[in-house]
Amino acid sequence: MTNPILQLPWPVLVLLLGLLVACLWLALVAARRMAGAVESGPDGMLPLLGGAAAQRSPLHDWDPRFKIAAILAFAFLVVSLRQPPLVAAALAVALMIIPLGRLPWSRPLRRIAAMNGFLAMFLVVMPLTAVVRPGDALIVFGGLESWPFNLRGLLLALTIVGKAWCVALLMEPLLATAPLGATLEGLARLGVPRRVGELLLIAHRYIHVFFDEQQRMRSGMVARAFRPDHRLDRMRDYGNFVGMLLVRSYERTHRVFEAMQARGYAGAMPGHYRFTANAADWLKTILLLAFGVGLLLADRLAGGGA
Amino acid sequence: MHISDGVMPTSLALGSGAVSLAVAAWSSRATRAEDLPKVAVVAAAFFVAATVHVPLGPTSVHLLLPGLVGALLGPSAFLAIALGLVLQSLMFQFGGLTALGGNALLMGLPALACGLLFQLFRGGGAKRQMLVGGLCGGLGIVGSAIILALLLAFSGEDFLGVARLALAAHLPVVVIETLIAAFIVRFLHKVKPEMLEAPFTLKRDRP
Repeated sequence: MTNPILQLPWPVLVLLLGLLVACLWLALVAARRMAGAVESGPDGMLPLLGGAAAQRSPLHDWDPRFKIAAILAFAFLVVSLRQPPLVAAALAVALMIIPLGRLPWSRPLRRIAAMNGFLAMFLVVMPLTAVVRPGDALIVFGGLESWPFNLRGLLLALTIVGKAWCVALLMEPLLATAPLGATLEGLARLGVPRRVGELLLIAHRYIHVFFDEQQRMRSGMVARAFRPDHRLDRMRDYGNFVGMLLVRSYERTHRVFEAMQARGYAGAMPGHYRFTANAADWLKTILLLAFGVGLLLADRLAGGGA
Repeated sequence: MHISDGVMPTSLALGSGAVSLAVAAWSSRATRAEDLPKVAVVAAAFFVAATVHVPLGPTSVHLLLPGLVGALLGPSAFLAIALGLVLQSLMFQFGGLTALGGNALLMGLPALACGLLFQLFRGGGAKRQMLVGGLCGGLGIVGSAIILALLLAFSGEDFLGVARLALAAHLPVVVIETLIAAFIVRFLHKVKPEMLEAPFTLKRDRP
């Protein structure tokens, strides 16, 4: 084989694995803390979709129809990239869009933290399991010749992380710069069936209702000395807990539906939003799309594949 | 486990998106139009059930319950799961934006299959319903792990190692979900057995 190979003694591998385990442990702690926050935090731990409409910024003023189309198309262009430098450029743009919309950093960071467990698996596993192709730079550790550390695999995992982060950063500009109703109305104008938007609104509303219900039931269980565990009788408690949640929500489902019918629901909700597009909307859309297409062209012209 | 953005090549992301759109359209047509809001509310209930974490060794896993969604909702299960996934992606970023189609397939297809299995074999007794419900709960996770591994494998030969690891990581989840699904079905059988009978969303003549 013609692969450039770097030989390293095995203690280096121990050191590297130690580093990786430390990183993973940190990610796990973060994920656990977030899970704990979602489970037992004060009210409002589930994020509400849709932003404060009164704010003004280039993103808030962007017509939702154009904003949705541009950001969705840009997301697909970004995930098509293969070259690490271009992924980095896309990530830089996504990072610049957030201050442009005067958005706080907390929620984009939370989105990124939510994915990191899955992405960490790629970072650990890909370098060791990627198929060795001619030309790949390898690091071989003494005594472990059958598990070469493939730098191409590491690079591939890093581009995946970059692309996933980039799309995650675009979500807040997409969702938090208009009320959820306006965003869904924009989707409807783009050809998504109106029913889909209505169902999403209903589901979003009742997720928060049922989450509160679940919190109440959970405090009841904790007050009665329930301790999370994975023994068999705990599984029964979990089963009863989820079963009760489902029974209550089924009963609520019928009440909600009757209330909707009593208010004259006949399969459609009234719309409130009017959109008018101006030159600035077109300009922002064209800028973002041109940048995305430019990245993709550069990606494919500069060597084809990673 | 959900696939994040950037893993699947764009052709696979768009292809799985198109397939899941088609299945979701079929699923919503199999539901009576006036029952659609109910599907949305039940989807919200399952969304919240999936925020319940069960401790497992040094970490914790959250419930997925695809088999149970299928058992309770029948053909509407795919629509409910697609709604839940869209909201999960919009709220937490689990499942990504461009990978939504693939994630809907990996949760939704096992749900449809398990729903059919449950309605075929559930029988009448409490023991039997518990057994079949538990099996559906476990098979739902097995099915989604297999589809996840297939999607990863189709993403390129470099992903085979990750696909194998993902399959192995689902094994303890299968055990937990089997047990909890069995206990949920037993609870529902005692408290509200009509929820386990034919799904309310199946097309039928109105009384």
